[in-house]
Amino acid sequence: MSLYLKLFFESIVFAFSALIANKLRTILSLLGITIGIFSIISVFTMVDSLERKVRSSVSTLGSNVVFIQKWPWEFGGDYPWWKYWQRPLPSLDEMHEIEKRSEMASSVSFMASTKKVISSGSIVLENVSVLAVSNNYDKVKKIEISKGRYFTELELKAGKNIVLIGSAVEENLFLNANSLGLDIKVFGRKYKVVGVLKREGQSMLGESMDDQIIVPVNNAINFIDLKSENTNPTVMIEAKATIPNQQLKDELTGLMRSMRKLKPATEDNFSLNETSLLLNGFDKLFGVINLSGAFIGFFSILVGGFGIANIMFVSVKERTNIIGIQKSLGAKNSFILFQFLSEAVFLCLLGGFIGLVLVYFTSLLLSEILDFEIILAFKNIITGLFISLVIGLVSGIIPAYFASRLNPVDAIRSN
Amino acid sequence: MDPILKLNAISRHYKVGAEEIQALKSVSIEINKNEYVALMGPSGSGKSTLMNIIGCLDTPTSGEYFLNGKDVSKMEDDDLAEIRNKEIGFVFQTFNLLPRLSALDNVALPLIYAGFNKQTRIDRASEVLAQVSLSDRVHHKPNELSGGQRQRVAIARALVNNPSIILADEPTGNLDSKTSHEIMALFEEIYKKGNTIILVTHEEDIAQHAHRIVRLKDGLVESDTLNGQRIKKESIV
Repeated sequence: MSLYLKLFFESIVFAFSALIANKLRTILSLLGITIGIFSIISVFTMVDSLERKVRSSVSTLGSNVVFIQKWPWEFGGDYPWWKYWQRPLPSLDEMHEIEKRSEMASSVSFMASTKKVISSGSIVLENVSVLAVSNNYDKVKKIEISKGRYFTELELKAGKNIVLIGSAVEENLFLNANSLGLDIKVFGRKYKVVGVLKREGQSMLGESMDDQIIVPVNNAINFIDLKSENTNPTVMIEAKATIPNQQLKDELTGLMRSMRKLKPATEDNFSLNETSLLLNGFDKLFGVINLSGAFIGFFSILVGGFGIANIMFVSVKERTNIIGIQKSLGAKNSFILFQFLSEAVFLCLLGGFIGLVLVYFTSLLLSEILDFEIILAFKNIITGLFISLVIGLVSGIIPAYFASRLNPVDAIRSN
Repeated sequence: MDPILKLNAISRHYKVGAEEIQALKSVSIEINKNEYVALMGPSGSGKSTLMNIIGCLDTPTSGEYFLNGKDVSKMEDDDLAEIRNKEIGFVFQTFNLLPRLSALDNVALPLIYAGFNKQTRIDRASEVLAQVSLSDRVHHKPNELSGGQRQRVAIARALVNNPSIILADEPTGNLDSKTSHEIMALFEEIYKKGNTIILVTHEEDIAQHAHRIVRLKDGLVESDTLNGQRIKKESIV
């Protein structure tokens, strides 16, 4: 066995020296593999980076939170909207009822949103998202505050004119000056800034927290129609630490049905949404992009593989005499086979490696330009090298077999 | 003593299109250890075919071939490769060195196939290169060597694995007469160290270096005689 390994190693050394001797040809023939690996791995890398971003955005919603809404989070072509559009919207009262009766919830909160004009002095911002929230919103949503504080329970109950603002809102309204304790105008009235949210950065799920402001729902109820579809009223329930989501959902289904007095035979007229539903949807989407990337890449790799097979045939033809000499000196068929096979594999690995280097530099460049981090993952490096290895084996095996089966008498005479 | 090489009614037929060519009809030869045999014959006599069979590059259509007691006439590719590696040292008319390898690496090549480690290979190859007086050309590539030096490297390569027979195919065919003379003197030296040499040639004066001359014609042995001239010369010495 060690002899076999030794011969294998020697045949690789042979292959390597042959490649060095034909530099230009080597480079040209591995270009196909380089382009193939570049296209496959760059698609994988883009998708992975997008996916990572989406997952981190989704995770800010909380994985153990159930959202009671009118519309379900579903994806796909056959969304039966006609079944949902006459449903009632979740209300503040229902939220209070759930808070009172649920045993599996650790915190329950209500949220509605709208777009409004806000201003501070002469600076006016249009189309700013205003979230109207109830008690416990900070716990369910895990919001972090960089300056100031969250609303107190009393302030929320009383519906005071107070506001939390996103970091980008602060920058725009106050030009980086400290905003705590100052007033901004929302709904045409003055609201005191009690806190600033920590910077979140670009979000893959619509708007970033940075561009939003938060007010108590008991205050906003005077200016926002919570019975309107446009405000997207949502009841958010966080499960207790040991309670699985499904159990919480079962309980919530019972509570909601009894509150809404639904007969046993009728369908639910509310949706219980979870972040896993969102992720499932994204998984499907990314799966499709990945598949199409792999499909396109497969063909370019195939072309590259043909190139390698071709150049290997030329190489065998050119070295027929040397193969004959090697055989006359006692090289076994397997030695010749390994020699040419490892030459093909080495070519492909080199081509793949160059492709990966190109992906790496492209990802650095794009990360710079797009303000969005694109990372060439270790997993994708391995995938790229593995594909190169397989292509090398597949495209090298026929020329190598051909070389190994050459008749020594004929081979040694050819020139 | 058993002969080192024994051919028994060897024949070799080729198919060219629909026609069958009988390159060797029936050849029987025995060669003992430390014999110096010249194999002669005009082109088309089956000389090359016989050499290929003796060198285990080809297998006979019928007949038996024992090399060092082993029946090699029905062996498969890999076993034949091993026999070539261990039992036979080839010297070719066109030297057949690997152009990109140094003299040392060329000589060490059979040792790679035999599975020796690197140090052993270098030691052994240097040793045989010294035997052919090329110690100062160890790291030269074939294109940096003269014809005679290239043939010496090839001879060193043939010797490196201590083969049972040295099979030289027109070893002086590409050399001028002075260099030919040197190469034949080298074969003489190798022979005196106890090696068995089979020399394939069509030149009468080259064949005269051997002790025994086997002449082939039309795929048969025409004559198999001791070289009286040579033996007489030796007995005088």
